[in-house]
Amino acid sequence: MFNLVVEMNTQKIRKDFPVLEKGIIYMDSACVSLKPQQVVKAMNCYYNEFPACAGRSMHKLGEKVTEEVSKARKIIAKFFNAKPNEIVFTKNTTESINLVANSLGLKKGDKVITTDKEHNSNLLPWQNLAKRGIIHEIIKSNEDNTFNMDKFKEKIKGAKLVSMVHTSNLDGVTIPAEEIIKIAHEHGALVLLDAAQSVPHKEINVKKLDVDFLACSGHKMLGPSGTGILYGKYHLLEKLEPFLIGGDTVIDTTYTTAEFEKPPEKFEAGLQNYAGIIGLAEAARYLMKIGRKNISKHETELNKKITNELLKIDGIKIIGPEDPELRSGIISFNYKDADPHEIALLLDSSADIMVRSGAHCVHSWFNAHNLKGSARVSLYIYNTEEECDKLIEEINKIVEL
Amino acid sequence: MICIIALIVFSILGIFSATHRQLAKEAFDCVFRRITFRKCESGLDIRLKSRITGRLMKRSPILASKIHRHFELISWAFIILFIVSFIYVAIGGYNYYLYGNCNGPNEDGFCIFDPLGEKSKFSETQSCSAEPPNPESLTLFNVDLSLFPSYDKNAENDVVFIGCYGCPYTRKAYPAIKKLLDRKDVNFVFAHFPAKESTYFISNILNCINEADKDKFIEFNELIFTSDTISLKNEDEIFEVVEKIGLDKKEIKHCSYLERTHEITKLQMSELQKTGIYGTPTVFINGEAVVGPKPYRVYKRLLK
Ligand SMILES: Cc1ncc(COP(=O)(O)O)c(C=O)c1O
Repeated sequence: MFNLVVEMNTQKIRKDFPVLEKGIIYMDSACVSLKPQQVVKAMNCYYNEFPACAGRSMHKLGEKVTEEVSKARKIIAKFFNAKPNEIVFTKNTTESINLVANSLGLKKGDKVITTDKEHNSNLLPWQNLAKRGIIHEIIKSNEDNTFNMDKFKEKIKGAKLVSMVHTSNLDGVTIPAEEIIKIAHEHGALVLLDAAQSVPHKEINVKKLDVDFLACSGHKMLGPSGTGILYGKYHLLEKLEPFLIGGDTVIDTTYTTAEFEKPPEKFEAGLQNYAGIIGLAEAARYLMKIGRKNISKHETELNKKITNELLKIDGIKIIGPEDPELRSGIISFNYKDADPHEIALLLDSSADIMVRSGAHCVHSWFNAHNLKGSARVSLYIYNTEEECDKLIEEINKIVEL
Repeated sequence: MICIIALIVFSILGIFSATHRQLAKEAFDCVFRRITFRKCESGLDIRLKSRITGRLMKRSPILASKIHRHFELISWAFIILFIVSFIYVAIGGYNYYLYGNCNGPNEDGFCIFDPLGEKSKFSETQSCSAEPPNPESLTLFNVDLSLFPSYDKNAENDVVFIGCYGCPYTRKAYPAIKKLLDRKDVNFVFAHFPAKESTYFISNILNCINEADKDKFIEFNELIFTSDTISLKNEDEIFEVVEKIGLDKKEIKHCSYLERTHEITKLQMSELQKTGIYGTPTVFINGEAVVGPKPYRVYKRLLK
C-alpha cells in the first residue's frame, strides 16, 4: 500500500524533470542529480528580476538579493536543523573540506583520521597536510566494506580531527556517524562529515548528530552546479581562520590591516553565486516537501529490487555488503573481468540507461583492491520500478553478449 | 584494431569538423599505443565497440552478440578490406594520372576521379560495326600519313591527331592537342574523321586549304574548334572561316567540289580505316594510341 503511494509520488515528481521526457533512464545521480524545473525557475528569477549584488549595494535590487540570499540561508539552516549563521555557502563539497583543512590550524603531529574509502576530495587535502607534518591515519573497512568500529576505537586516541565520508559514493555504505561522533568527542576530536552522498538522500539533523563540520554539494541534491555548503558549529567557525579572503569577507581595511566579518560571511569571499544559492534553497525546499524519509525508503526499495535480480546473474559482484538496506541508492558492481566502462557504454547505447563507470574518484580504494573500477547505478527520487526492470533486462542482455 | 579504422575515418571527417579532429587525435594515440604493445588509454576502442554493439542490441541482440564476440576479427577484416581497397584506389589514381582513366590505357570503365567518364568518352566512328572497340588493334602501320595536313618541324616526336570537327569529345581534346602542336619538339599530323556525316564536306575543304597553303590548316582548325557559333552544317559559314584565314573563298569552294578532291578525301578515309579507329578523338603519340579527351599530362607523358 505504502509502495503505491511512493510510486504515485514518483510519477508526479517526474513531471518536474523535463529532461526525463527524452526517454532517458538516469541512474547517475551520485555524480550529479537532475534539476527540477522549480530550481531552474528560482534561478531564472534572480537573473530576470534582481540580478544585482547582495550585501553591498543599497538600491532596491541590491536589497532584494540580500533578502533572498538571507532567506536561502534560513531555508538551508532549517534543512539541517542548524542556525543560519552556521551555514557557509561554497562551490562544492571539495571546497568545503578544503576550507576546514586549511583553516583549522592543524599543526605538525596533529592526527587526522579518515576511512579507506574517501573520495579524493577528502583524501588529497590530508595528504597535502601530511607533507607539512600532520599524521593522516586510515581506518581499514571490514571485509564487506562496512565501518570497522573496533579499529576506529583503537586509533581515535590523540586524534585532532575525524574526517569521514558519511555515505560512500563507492558502495553506498553509511558509517554509524552518531556513534563515531560521540566517541570522537569523548577523545577531544572534532568531526567533519563528507556528506555529499548522504544529504541528498536522508534526513540530517546536525544538532542531533552533534557533528562539528559537515560538507555537501548542491548539484547532487537537485540544486545547481557550482553550489556547496559547509555547516560548522558557530563557535568553531568563529575560531577558523578564513581560507579564501578578499571582497565581502571584511568589514574594514587599512593598507596594512583588515577587520574580518563574522561567520559565515568571513568565509564567503568575492561576489557569490546568488542564482545558485537561491536555486539551492529551492532544491532544499523541494526535498523537504517530499520528505527525506520517503526518499530513503524509495531508494532502498528500488535497490532491493535491483540487488535481488543482479545477484541471480552468475559473475556479478556487488561492491560492499550484499544487503541493499546498507547501501542506500547505490549499486556498484562488476561482471567477471568485463571493463566497467564497456558495461556503462552498452547500457547507454542500447537503452539510454545512464550509469557511471570507473573509479568514481576513489582510486585509492580500487588500487588497494586491485580493481580497475566498477559500474555504478545510483538512484534518486525520479527513478521507478519500471526503470529498474529495464536496467536488469539490459544487464542480462549484456551478460549474454 | 578498430582504432586504425577510426583513425582513417575520423581523420577524413576531421577535415570538416573539430569534434572528429579530436577523435582522430585519440585514435592516433590509441593506434600508437597499440603498436607499442600498450593499452589504448583513452578507451576509444571500448567506446566504439560498445557504441556499435549497444545500438545493434536494440535491433538484433543475436547480431550484436556475434559482433561483440568477434569484434577484433571483424575489425581486422575491415582493415584488410581497407588496405586492399586502398591499393586499388592507389592503382586507380596512378592510372588516372598516366592515362586519364583509373582502369588503364583507353579503358572506359567507371573511374571515381572522373565519375562521368568525360575523359574516356569518344564519338563512335564504327556505328555499324558488330566488333567491340579494341584499343589493342589501333595502329599507324601501313597508313599513308602524307595524305593529311601536317606540320613537320623535323622534331623527335610524331603526333597524329585524328579528330572530328563536329564531335564534342574532339572539341574537348583540342586545347590539350593545341598545346602539343605548339611544342617545338613535335611533328604534327591532323586527320579529319567526320564521325558525323554532315561534316564530311569539311574534309574536302580542309584538303583544298592544305593544297593552297600547307600551314593554313592550323589557323583553320583553331577557328573551327574554338568557336561555338559556327554552324558546321552550313557550307557558307565554313567558307567565311576560309576567308578569315586569308584564303580565297571562291577558289577553295571551287576546289572542294572537284572530283579530284573527293578522291583524296575518300583515300584518306580508307587509310584511316586501317588504323582500326573506333572513336574520335584518337591521338597517336610516337605510335601509341590514346582514345578520348585526355588531360595534357597524359599526352605529354608519351613524348620522348
Ligand atoms: C562522497 C563524495 N565526497 C565528495 C565529492 C566531491 O563533490 P564535489 O565534486 O561536488 O566537490 C563527491 C562527489 O562525487 C562525493 O561523492
